[in-house]
Amino acid sequence: MNIESSHTFKGVSRELLWKTLQNKEALRRSLPGCQSFEEVEDNVFNAELGINIGPVKGAFTGVVRQVDINEPESYRLLLEGKGKPGEIDADAQMSLEETDEGTILTCRADVKVTGVLAAVGQRVMGGVAKVILGQFFKDIQKETKEMAKL
Amino acid sequence: MANAVGAPLKRKEDPRLLTGNGCFADDIQLPGMLHAVILRSPHAHAKIKKINVEEALKSPHVIAVYTGKDLEGKIGPVPSSWLVPDCNLKEAPQYPLAIDRVRYVGDGVALIIADDRYAARDALDLIDVEYEVLPAAVRQKEAMQKGAPLVHDDIENNIALHWKAGEVAEEIMENAEVVVQESFYVQRVFPSPIETRAAIGQYNPGSEELTLWCTSQNPHIHRMVLAGVLGISEAKLRVIAPDMGGGFGGKIGVYPDEALIGYAARDLGRPVKWIEQRSEHFTSSNAGRDEVIDVELAGNRDGTLTAIRVKNTANLGAYLSTMGPGVSTIDFGLMITGAYDIPHASCETFGVYTNTTPTDAYRGAGKPEATYQIERIIDLYAREIGMDPLELRKKNLVRKEAFPYTNAQGLVYDSGDYEKPLQKALEIVNYEQLRQEQEKLRKQGKLIGIGLSTYVELCGFGPSKVAGAIGFQGGVWENSTVRVHPSGKVTVYSGTSPHGQGHATTFGQIVADKLGVPMEDIELVFSDTKAISMSWGTYGSRSTAVGGAAVAIAADRVVEKAKKIAAHELEAAVEDITFENGVFQVKGVPGQQRTFQEIAKSANMAWNLPEGMEPSLEAQSFFDPENFVYPFGTHIAIVEVDKETGEIEWKRYVCVDDVGRVINPLTAEGQVHGGVAQGVGQALWEGAIYSKEGQLLSGTLMDYALPKARFFPHIESSFTETLSPVNPLGAKGVGETGTTASIPAVMNAVMDALKPYGVKDIEMPLTPEKVWRAIQNGEGN
Repeated sequence: MNIESSHTFKGVSRELLWKTLQNKEALRRSLPGCQSFEEVEDNVFNAELGINIGPVKGAFTGVVRQVDINEPESYRLLLEGKGKPGEIDADAQMSLEETDEGTILTCRADVKVTGVLAAVGQRVMGGVAKVILGQFFKDIQKETKEMAKL
Repeated sequence: MANAVGAPLKRKEDPRLLTGNGCFADDIQLPGMLHAVILRSPHAHAKIKKINVEEALKSPHVIAVYTGKDLEGKIGPVPSSWLVPDCNLKEAPQYPLAIDRVRYVGDGVALIIADDRYAARDALDLIDVEYEVLPAAVRQKEAMQKGAPLVHDDIENNIALHWKAGEVAEEIMENAEVVVQESFYVQRVFPSPIETRAAIGQYNPGSEELTLWCTSQNPHIHRMVLAGVLGISEAKLRVIAPDMGGGFGGKIGVYPDEALIGYAARDLGRPVKWIEQRSEHFTSSNAGRDEVIDVELAGNRDGTLTAIRVKNTANLGAYLSTMGPGVSTIDFGLMITGAYDIPHASCETFGVYTNTTPTDAYRGAGKPEATYQIERIIDLYAREIGMDPLELRKKNLVRKEAFPYTNAQGLVYDSGDYEKPLQKALEIVNYEQLRQEQEKLRKQGKLIGIGLSTYVELCGFGPSKVAGAIGFQGGVWENSTVRVHPSGKVTVYSGTSPHGQGHATTFGQIVADKLGVPMEDIELVFSDTKAISMSWGTYGSRSTAVGGAAVAIAADRVVEKAKKIAAHELEAAVEDITFENGVFQVKGVPGQQRTFQEIAKSANMAWNLPEGMEPSLEAQSFFDPENFVYPFGTHIAIVEVDKETGEIEWKRYVCVDDVGRVINPLTAEGQVHGGVAQGVGQALWEGAIYSKEGQLLSGTLMDYALPKARFFPHIESSFTETLSPVNPLGAKGVGETGTTASIPAVMNAVMDALKPYGVKDIEMPLTPEKVWRAIQNGEGN
């Protein structure tokens, strides 16, 4: 399924947002339910996320790869995760667009799921994903302030 | 009891079942019983790279874990039982657990046995399977294309079978004044019995006998097939179907799961119980329908129909189920002309393997699909030539005088009077007036629709020689023993295996009439292969027409013998003995009589029997009918569509069914109600949805709209009786008529309501959104 969500980071320059999104610590703090986030090689991370999608709850372990990096405009995140409720395979295109107001971050993802996640979670996944991404954007917004101080 | 047949007696089964005294599979508790769960594939198509079971085995409750590799050479593949001939059928072996490749979401990967049910479930999470995901073939027409992923590497274009019956010369189509074409998708649905599947195995190492309780509509087919799969003598395998909460075809199949439970019970020497979860049921129990049907109906402008040409592309799933290959071929393709005298017909069916759960017979099995296409295309044809769909039907229905009638595909319809239920239904709804009212309301902007379905269906499977000729791997005769005890109480053994139909009541009525004994003196025994020698089970609305007939014949034989004993005791000639209401009487000599109970005692004591007569009062019969039976009737649906929301409101639903002799109008009506509910469910609400990767998205009762009782209006059911000549009861079948007739009745009603917008077809189920969109895109909007 396709999930699309965007957020305007008011008063945040594209460079600052990019820097924040590339900061491992900022990401670890902002990723929803993130229990661990480690760079195992360049732009490849092992992650452990607790995800709660409607009736489906569970911990997912997986690999996140950052590819097609086009600083500071866009990058792609490839995510392969596995947990008790099923498997997730996501391909997310992240793009940053600078406007007068600030920077708009848009996430366009093609998400494939299996198992209970597919049978039970699919119905609510679109909505839940928006909530999760919304939380992520809010946390990143906070992180940009920290980042600006550096 | 006289005149029990035809009386609306309450079901004998209900007091027991309604007071919690039934015994369903999950009620069975055995000493030392273990619990099984099956780990199933989350992928539609993948290679199994590695299975790590070590963590699971560390659980203190886990007794054993089996994978497909562990069972190689120990359990055989589970075969299909319907090897349709002359269609290049390719059967891929289905092993009880996938060995190196999973082929649908729900395919079994590992079997876990634990001493605690919860621990068994928890252990599912402890098995780590490494998959290499492969592209999946999901929808049948795409799966047939060159380059589509192959479900089985050696089966080209995923084509499991290519079947043809009948021929329509090209010039007939070319010369026709009118040819109406349409493509219908009769979507995949789930039988959804209230009780999921279950199996319990118990092995006796002393006698080497394996007992398997399982949710089967046909325990003897299970015994026959599983004996082969498990490599055990049929004489050492006992299959018992306990009380069952419905089947609807979903429990015909011999599944890998039942073979696994039998195997584990024998291997571990302890009883093993497996109860299917509801979510598991959606992916692992055989589904129904899933056929894309392309139809062309040809004829003249005056409404004379000359030919029908049909192509069915059926999704058979990843493996051939027990009856799967026969549904879209024999059951469907020979019935495409329906109740109409259409001289030329042809059907071509492609059965296609896909990475989905296998499909099998579901209530009606092929006949609802056949009826759907003909009843829908008749309506479209009527619209095309500007004729009332009723008039077109009347013009083409097979005439009463034509029976026995041979249809264009060669089937011989046993008996019929199609106008009779049609007229009755028209009177009930007052058709003429209804049409005028519809016109009036249309002018006020109200969308009223009237849908007709004048159906015929094939059921009562027999005779066996035909079953053999069409590739069914079994006979279709039935068997009954009527045993009269010294007291005159009776035990009746029947091979058909009820699971909600109320056979104890209806078969009891047959015996009560024959023997003149009260209903409460008759006990019925079903569903145990150790009690009943052989049988072919309950499906295809065959229980009464074949099984009930066997019971009637056995009871007749009991009376025949009892009469001889009575004649002997009364010192009269057998011809002079009458038998009525349980009393043997010398004709014209009042007082010279014996009761049935007195003769029962005489027969069992055997102190004074006629010369050369064997003791006891018991008879067996094996009945193989000379033909199928063909029930028919008319269903009329009246609906109102809300043009603002697309919602469909029921006004009335009227059915007049002719199922031959009605043994019990109450249980027959119950069958019609249930059948209508499942048919309308398909038309309006139900539908399996797979993602393009083969993930089942409608895998819970929150996502799959199974209709509830409150969704329905009062279903107005009545009967006409046109007896069948092919069995001594004159009975046909009633179990599937409701499903067969109602799907097109409802669709025709909704399409009739949307006629002002020029809407001709909407793919089922008719969700309000689809209906609303059709209105928005319709003419004049």
